[in-house]
Amino acid sequence: MVAIGMVLTSMVLCSVMINSLSATEPDMHGWNEGEVSVLRSLWIGSLPPLPKDPSNAYADNPKARAFGQKLFFDPRFSGNLKVSCATCHRPDMSFTDDLPLAHGMGSTTRRSMPLLGVAYNSWFFWDGRKDSLWSQALGPLESNVEHGFTRTACAYLISEYYRSEYEEIFGKMPDITNAVASPATEDIIVLKTWVSMAPAKKEAVNRIYANMGKAIAAYVRTIVPGPSRFDRYVKALFNNDMTALQESLTSMEINGLRLFIGKAKCTNCHGGPLFTNSDFHNTGVPTPAKMSPDKGRADGIKKVLSDEFNCLGSYSDAGPRDCAELRFVDTKTEKYVGAFKTPTLRNVAERAPYMHAGQFATLKEVLEFYRQSKSHEINHGELTDEELSQLEAFLHTLSGPL
Amino acid sequence: MRAAIVVMFALLFPFTAFAHHTDPPTTGSHTKHYEHSLFKVTEKGLFSVEMVVKEKELKVGVNTLDVIIHDKNDKDVVGAEITVVPWMPEMGHGVFEKPVVRERGGGLYSGENIILIMEGHWELRMKIGKGTVEDTVTFDFPNVKVSEAPSQGEHKMTYSSAPADLDTSAVRESAKKQFKVSYVSEMMPIPVGRIISWKLIVETADGRPVNDADITMEGGMPEHGHGLPTQPEVTKGTAAGEYAVQGLKFSMPGWWTISFKIRAQTMDDSVTFNLLVQ
Repeated sequence: MVAIGMVLTSMVLCSVMINSLSATEPDMHGWNEGEVSVLRSLWIGSLPPLPKDPSNAYADNPKARAFGQKLFFDPRFSGNLKVSCATCHRPDMSFTDDLPLAHGMGSTTRRSMPLLGVAYNSWFFWDGRKDSLWSQALGPLESNVEHGFTRTACAYLISEYYRSEYEEIFGKMPDITNAVASPATEDIIVLKTWVSMAPAKKEAVNRIYANMGKAIAAYVRTIVPGPSRFDRYVKALFNNDMTALQESLTSMEINGLRLFIGKAKCTNCHGGPLFTNSDFHNTGVPTPAKMSPDKGRADGIKKVLSDEFNCLGSYSDAGPRDCAELRFVDTKTEKYVGAFKTPTLRNVAERAPYMHAGQFATLKEVLEFYRQSKSHEINHGELTDEELSQLEAFLHTLSGPL
Repeated sequence: MRAAIVVMFALLFPFTAFAHHTDPPTTGSHTKHYEHSLFKVTEKGLFSVEMVVKEKELKVGVNTLDVIIHDKNDKDVVGAEITVVPWMPEMGHGVFEKPVVRERGGGLYSGENIILIMEGHWELRMKIGKGTVEDTVTFDFPNVKVSEAPSQGEHKMTYSSAPADLDTSAVRESAKKQFKVSYVSEMMPIPVGRIISWKLIVETADGRPVNDADITMEGGMPEHGHGLPTQPEVTKGTAAGEYAVQGLKFSMPGWWTISFKIRAQTMDDSVTFNLLVQ
């Protein structure tokens, strides 16, 4: 009697379970053709090979990469011997840091940017004031509040500690005198020292400096994101692998994904395998208290056009037909006042705070800001509290190894 | 008795004179010209300012406004020196670009290049000087927002959704049917976020190639209300009727329009292509 009762109960339980499983599965993982196409475009498998950088002849040179990696982690290239690229671009923090404003020798006015997949960008920094990875690497070295260093000091250090590495890649190093001089400084004495150098010496130092940037870029190019749980889900979808589908994302995360590519329209700017269109938008993020308003890309356009290390400059290896982004850059800068580059969302949950001056401490705050925004750049339907939580849950699925 | 009356007038006259200066008339001597305008009299009552914002409301970004200046006798004020200082009182800052005020004649002045950099409470602090006199007035805008209407740039985009039967053909007749225009893209499908070139082929309606046309272009995304992210160039191509369009970039997926204004021989026409970039 008891046995029959047990069998009957277990049968009922089993059928209930089977019914509930089959009731949710098709709904949960049902995507129409258009949606599958969007998922494919976001999938890491759609990331094309690293684009060539015609301005950097050493971009894919393995020796340059090894040299650049050493330079990246070497704190001697700073005014206090404590600041290296890795100080603000920490490998354990998706190659950024956890501060609202980056801090080298002093405090800066912007957040460090993450370096994962950075080589896929056409413009560098929040305001796009550099048009190559190698010229970007040279910026912080001479910034007072970052490395607080000079190009002549860089050249001298390379001749002291890295002569053989340098010469193997770039050829014989000219004679370097240990002058502290730079054209890109607020220090009058440092500037005057530079101006007083012989033209040939200035040219030699600039050449070494540019090569240093190119080596660092050869290393930083290789920092690309690895597959995340989201990518595993998409792969499982293509393989019709139901088990893997269920193991990759929870129902809450899938709801968030649906919102991300649908009602919330995040893919307008956060599309493609790196979840960014790498373009410049003014989303109305507030200026922090006590800071002046930041003109963003409007100033960035002027700066990149006057940068001696830009694609059309004499230290670039590009031919005249190569520099399309610079040649066709939009000169109507008033359209870009307060516009900043859309960052990647890969590993976004691992790297608070958010926005160009770290204005938002949590993803919740970011999503809440987007919900209440009236800007046409961020235009989505009314999002409920539950939907915001679902979006947040989905964003957590974009974390992967580096 | 007469002496008393004289004294009375003598006593009254200064008061009436002061009354005229401390009590600026608000109606009667200062006429509004436009229905939808903002109207204020300056602090000392020397001028009246009627302001018309070009796009009805001040917005974040580039704004233009017209002001009509009248004196206290309601006459046009010409040759005035006018400065406009946009200011955010709670934030304690203004703008980066100094607005330019141009005289148009008959008391009309245009304030151009008023670029408000963020949402919020703005004041437009005006100073009007004519000859030796000067006066000020402040117009208050408590809630300036990001534009809900067409934004700045050479091409005014309207916010509209893609129509159901969008014609995405790469071969189209121009608006006045004077030209047949087609494009061939260097890369198909159109990639997102990459600079590409197009070959543009321009023919007359009866199929003859059009050489030496003067072609300008504009474009953008109607649903998002923004223009092109780059500044493409149209130059003469190698073959008859062919032109090279370089520097085109489609920065995000969606509905894009690309328009060409074509002037050749005596013809002046335009054509628009629709694209659904994926």
